[in-house]
Amino acid sequence: MADLDSTNKYPVMGISIEKLKPKRVRKNIELTLWERLYIFEIVRGMTITTKHFVVNMFGFILPPKGKKRAIITVYYPEEKVTLPPAYRGRPVLVMRENGTEKCVACGLCESICPASAISIIAEERENGERYPSSYSLDMSRCVYCGFCEEVCPKEAVVMSAEYEGLAKRDRNSLHYTKEMLLRPEKSVKDRLEYIRGIYSKCNY
Amino acid sequence: MVAELTESIVKILFIFGVNIGFFSPILGWVERKQSALMQDRVGANRADICGFTIIGLFHPIADAIKVLTKEDFIPDGADRLIHTIAPFISLTPAIIAFAVIPFGGQYDLFGHRVNLIIADLDVGLLFIFAFASLASFGAVLGGWASNNNWSFLGGLRASAQMLSYEVVMGLNIIGVIMVYGTLRLSEIGAMQVDFFNWGIFLQPVGFVLFFTCAIAENKRAPFDVAEAESELVAGYFTEYSGMKFVMFWMGEFLEIVTIGGLVTTMFFGAWHLPFVSDLMLLDFFSFAGPNGASILAILVNITTFFAKVIFFIWLQMTIRWTLPRFRYDQVMRLGWKMFLPIVLINIFITGLVLLAK
Repeated sequence: MADLDSTNKYPVMGISIEKLKPKRVRKNIELTLWERLYIFEIVRGMTITTKHFVVNMFGFILPPKGKKRAIITVYYPEEKVTLPPAYRGRPVLVMRENGTEKCVACGLCESICPASAISIIAEERENGERYPSSYSLDMSRCVYCGFCEEVCPKEAVVMSAEYEGLAKRDRNSLHYTKEMLLRPEKSVKDRLEYIRGIYSKCNY
Repeated sequence: MVAELTESIVKILFIFGVNIGFFSPILGWVERKQSALMQDRVGANRADICGFTIIGLFHPIADAIKVLTKEDFIPDGADRLIHTIAPFISLTPAIIAFAVIPFGGQYDLFGHRVNLIIADLDVGLLFIFAFASLASFGAVLGGWASNNNWSFLGGLRASAQMLSYEVVMGLNIIGVIMVYGTLRLSEIGAMQVDFFNWGIFLQPVGFVLFFTCAIAENKRAPFDVAEAESELVAGYFTEYSGMKFVMFWMGEFLEIVTIGGLVTTMFFGAWHLPFVSDLMLLDFFSFAGPNGASILAILVNITTFFAKVIFFIWLQMTIRWTLPRFRYDQVMRLGWKMFLPIVLINIFITGLVLLAK
């Protein structure tokens, strides 16, 4: 407590120092007579749970129309959640409309990757354009940090919303090649728009 | 003789069918599904046959298959005999207790007097208490024979808790006995023809205390210190697997049904509909001839009784999934320092009221 008080000149990340102080635990709370009788509080608690039970049971038999159901469980393999654009799934390569990759094989993602999951072999086309002849991503090492996406000068590597098929029984099947990672630009449009808003390379 | 034998066999088969064939598997499903609905979840619904799940009702079957094919494990250093016997000791009283609970009145059927109770003992209530106290041996022996610290602690707690609450429960019953003047459960049931003669109106405090003590006796939350999943792994049945583990659970579920039956019989008018006596039912169904009227009345009364029992099962499940657990010392304090004085005062006041009448 004394340490916290001495440092309150500098608020941390905009949070006021008052909020960082541990809340005092209230011990020996005086219960009112009503609460000490216990049975009425039990009845109150049971009313709440019974209300949930009845509402859910009727929603279970006859799902209420227009009303959002109280049970928000997603039946996973049949239903799927729509993920927000901030979600970082499997990194993919963005494809141009003519089927070639946007990547210019600068090697920035390869060097920034903290897990050394990316390895690129660069080559040059006949018109002088650089491209990766091989772009391999080892998903058994990827930590989904998103640094490759942040560092990429061409918006060519994007963290997609793909979260399925990331666990395999064989490590070799987690090595992705360029062809396996290419996605049309349309499929990652939301994420591209989102990263333009968050990374400083785009919004200074 | 033959008629009596047939009657007994039919009644025993009916109670066995209802309890072991219906309630004990279905309560496992009910516990999952009801807790799920109360907590805004979906609950078990994945077991399917040809794509049909019928709201998870195949799960009891799946459970049964799983349990029967599981290894029956006896830990090293355990007392093999007692370890094997304990689940039986815990299950049997729960089944037997229903023998003295009436699920209907007396009817004339094909020139024979049918009494809808398996064993019409004149000490029915004492019989139930004798067997309920036997059930604690299952927990204690199971905990002791497992050669496991958690099991042992669970068994100790179970014995202490069940003994303490049996005292309160037994004294609590005295109020009911004083009011009705009999230990025979079928007579207690028959006396509650009049709606305002139901036990809940004559012994309201007794009902609350009996219900609470019965839940404590059954070692279910909020009194599950003997099982204590957050402290003792699974308490006295930590070292049990397969069918023996399920026998403890079946005992618990059947005790829920027995508690429901007892509460219904003693406090909620047994097999009677409110304001409707057996004679009124027989009059109402007189169009079907004497035997037909009896059969219809029997059906209505059995349905009424089990509807009440199911309501109390639901109530126990709701309590179990609503209330937080008590600490061990709180359980003991509640039993000895709060319930015991209240029960004694209840007996005293009941006596005063009976004297004043």
